[in-house]
Amino acid sequence: MSGQTFKILVTGPYAAGKTSMIQSVSQTQVVSTDVITSGEESEVKSHTTVAMDFGTYQVAGDDTRMLLFGTPGQARFRFMTNIMKGDVDIVAFVVDAEATATHAVAGVELRALLRDLRVPAVIAVNRCDDADAARQLARSLGALDGEAVVPCQLIDPDSGREVVVEILLTLLTAMESTKAEVA
Amino acid sequence: MAQPPVNAGIVAPGAPEPTPQRTMPSTVAQPAPPPTPTTVLDDLVDQFHDAAGAILASVDGFSIAQSSSMSDEASHPAMLAAAVGLAHQIVSMSGGEELRQLVVEHDRGLLLAWPIGSQRVLAVLAQHSIDQRRLHSFVHARTQVLIGAGS
Repeated sequence: MSGQTFKILVTGPYAAGKTSMIQSVSQTQVVSTDVITSGEESEVKSHTTVAMDFGTYQVAGDDTRMLLFGTPGQARFRFMTNIMKGDVDIVAFVVDAEATATHAVAGVELRALLRDLRVPAVIAVNRCDDADAARQLARSLGALDGEAVVPCQLIDPDSGREVVVEILLTLLTAMESTKAEVA
Repeated sequence: MAQPPVNAGIVAPGAPEPTPQRTMPSTVAQPAPPPTPTTVLDDLVDQFHDAAGAILASVDGFSIAQSSSMSDEASHPAMLAAAVGLAHQIVSMSGGEELRQLVVEHDRGLLLAWPIGSQRVLAVLAQHSIDQRRLHSFVHARTQVLIGAGS
């Protein structure tokens, strides 16, 4: 894995915590396209991503790099996900445990995205501290048994880094299984 | 200075008094309705023959107004907001501080987009031949309407 660069697509519903995650873990200045929200969305939060977030993470003592590409969450910006999803190594799908109204659509999008990309996924269940509850929510979204699920509080950088560690472990597992298949 | 006709309003001596005419009460001229973003965009397309359409969006990708010549596609204001949002970042990358205009030149013309205040973006679809200086003056003179001041 050493020396490799991985492309991570950080996606999920509106206001799930995607930007917070990238901001909390990126070691370089985040490229952010946050703007002021309007209409009903302004009742949920004051700013939203309209094009992309971009951040990086490098493993300490290693030259393995992760490039984090964050998508907007609203359906009207789906074209940005389509632009950014090319050559993705793994999907980090962020969902807010408390925003139950977003879960049904999130499940449909998660499954459709993974069917399309055929890459591993990590489900980051934000605003959740309970691993069992997180797993249950992820399963209800259609996550498969083998897919990693991380309960997290993405306003906390340590919590964001736990998601990144899970992403690295999942990538490692995927690479090992690919090697085993080849052998 | 133009002089009035010599006999205007004067009755010749001996002539019969003119019978007073019954006149209908004149209609009170209605003030023109205040311009709206939509009327401004339609005026723009009317006045600039090289402009095919115009669209005004919120910075977070919702449609606010569009010229009658544009189809109502939900993705258009979203794409506009995304492009301008990214252009702001590209300005920083280039060492600039303020995005003034985004120009997308393609085989059939131009898309010119620029921020209107802090919460709106305007795009004009035009041919290469459009007089950009005049276009900017036109928009600048109507910025308050496009910002939505007073609405």
